[in-house]
Amino acid sequence: MGYALIISEVRRGVFEERNLDSIGIANLAGKDACLLIPEGNYNINSNMVDRIIKVKIEESLFLNPLIITGLITKIMDSLGLPDMVIFTHSSSGIEMASYLAGKMGLPIITDISGYEKNGDIFFKSYYSDKVFGQFRKIKDNPLILTVRSGSFKDFATDKGKQVEETTVEGLSDIEERSFVEYVEEEKTGVDITKAEFLLSLGRGIGNKDEIPKFEELAQLLKATISGSRPVVDKQWLPKERQVGTSGKTVKPKVYLAMGISGAFQHIAGMKDSECIIAVNKDPEAPIFQYAHYGIVGDANKIRDKLKDIIQGG
Amino acid sequence: MDILVFVKRVAATQEEELRIIDEGKNIDLSKIPFKMNDWDNYAVEEAVKIVEGRGGSVTAISIGSAASDEVLRRAIAMGAKDGILIESNETIHDPVLRAISFYNFIKKEKIQFDAIFTGVQSEDDQFAATGGFLAGKMGLPYASMVIGIDAIENGYFVLRRELEGGLQERIKIKTPCVMSIQSGINEPRYVSIMGIRKASKVERKTVKFNDYAENGDAVIDLIKWSYPEKKGKATMLTGEVDAVCKELLEILKNKGVC
Repeated sequence: MGYALIISEVRRGVFEERNLDSIGIANLAGKDACLLIPEGNYNINSNMVDRIIKVKIEESLFLNPLIITGLITKIMDSLGLPDMVIFTHSSSGIEMASYLAGKMGLPIITDISGYEKNGDIFFKSYYSDKVFGQFRKIKDNPLILTVRSGSFKDFATDKGKQVEETTVEGLSDIEERSFVEYVEEEKTGVDITKAEFLLSLGRGIGNKDEIPKFEELAQLLKATISGSRPVVDKQWLPKERQVGTSGKTVKPKVYLAMGISGAFQHIAGMKDSECIIAVNKDPEAPIFQYAHYGIVGDANKIRDKLKDIIQGG
Repeated sequence: MDILVFVKRVAATQEEELRIIDEGKNIDLSKIPFKMNDWDNYAVEEAVKIVEGRGGSVTAISIGSAASDEVLRRAIAMGAKDGILIESNETIHDPVLRAISFYNFIKKEKIQFDAIFTGVQSEDDQFAATGGFLAGKMGLPYASMVIGIDAIENGYFVLRRELEGGLQERIKIKTPCVMSIQSGINEPRYVSIMGIRKASKVERKTVKFNDYAENGDAVIDLIKWSYPEKKGKATMLTGEVDAVCKELLEILKNKGVC
């Protein structure tokens, strides 16, 4: 049985929960799970994996794509080639994984959210989850993966045996790329995570001129306005209003999504809302898979009708 | 500063329903409009802004069919000096093959540069791997999810990378380097039809993908396409707009939010 090398993501001393998905897919694929982690005190059940390699290194160096590639090369020199090298599908995960693939000339599949053991088939999202591509590797060399958060964590379970632990030396900092500091987003007036009722807008509303009309509706409904990434990128709404992995995670009583198709990064930020209502033109929009109520239709038309009814009644 | 920017022509599928055809072998894109990949649009803008401030040039490079010329014209209209099309009749899904082709082209043609910009990912395949693979293969420093460039000094970029939950990290990276630009880093300029027409007069170079394909054997195989598993339990509100909206307001009342 081959092994899977799992590159853990630790950020400001925290073992990110999405690492469980990396461990899960290694277990699901029937590989010996070997976890690479910087030395430190993390809250993890180490019996989920077969082996832990602790590295004497600071977290910011560990997450540097140039340095981690050097570390992985050292591990492979001593343990032999793994069947897979697994990263989280995150800002640092994709950066390290793609760099490693290029440096070592290895195949890479990113954003994996499904796996079929029979045939060794990996499912990868295309077109914001409208379709999935089913991939397998052709050559017999290690496959580099990034794994979508939430996809495989149920398979990260206690293996019921003692984990084998080793500690290895780290690598020193390099001048080609170096960490300076963390920068926190500015705190401003609005906190969308506190709102009970969010009226959330996506690019399906068409253009910036529609925003004031939604603000009127929000006022009538006593809702707070939030939005998806494209709407914030286009500067139709300020960054503090953004829902999703790179913005805020929200759990309001009601999340009314208008013109949002439901990219995975958006879903991750709102799926635990008590009640999700989605309005979208495309009946196949992924957001309907997560909504409690759905309306297939034009967000702007629905908005105008809602305003008419409230003001008329 | 001379900057190469990779741009890709992608199907704009946000508002479109996608159909899988040929028993899972293909996706029907025949009726879908195409455009420049959103992330690449931000990458071109960022490169042009830098060059406007400090001199140098921006060259846009695209891999794709002859139709990809339209994204090169757009990049030129935004301020790129010229455009190069690495023409391939087949769609190249594997980022490894795309990166190797760029690599071979840059090496063989001895293209000079201080930085290579790509978008973080493309809207169609969402691989987010071409820039990183290329950097690794070239042995150049790499940064992805670049959401702000704070300074360019003494052969270094000082930049911010977007992490999760509103957190960013500031790093320093030495040139020459490869960077993948995150959407939202700037406000891409408006491109008029007149601008595109003017850009059409700038000569674009076309080369053949096959001439730059050495060591570019496929390493992953796309077996077939499938639709996502339906797990939805949404109650769909159907009927006349008026009735649907009244039903929606009723639901909001029952939930006690309005």
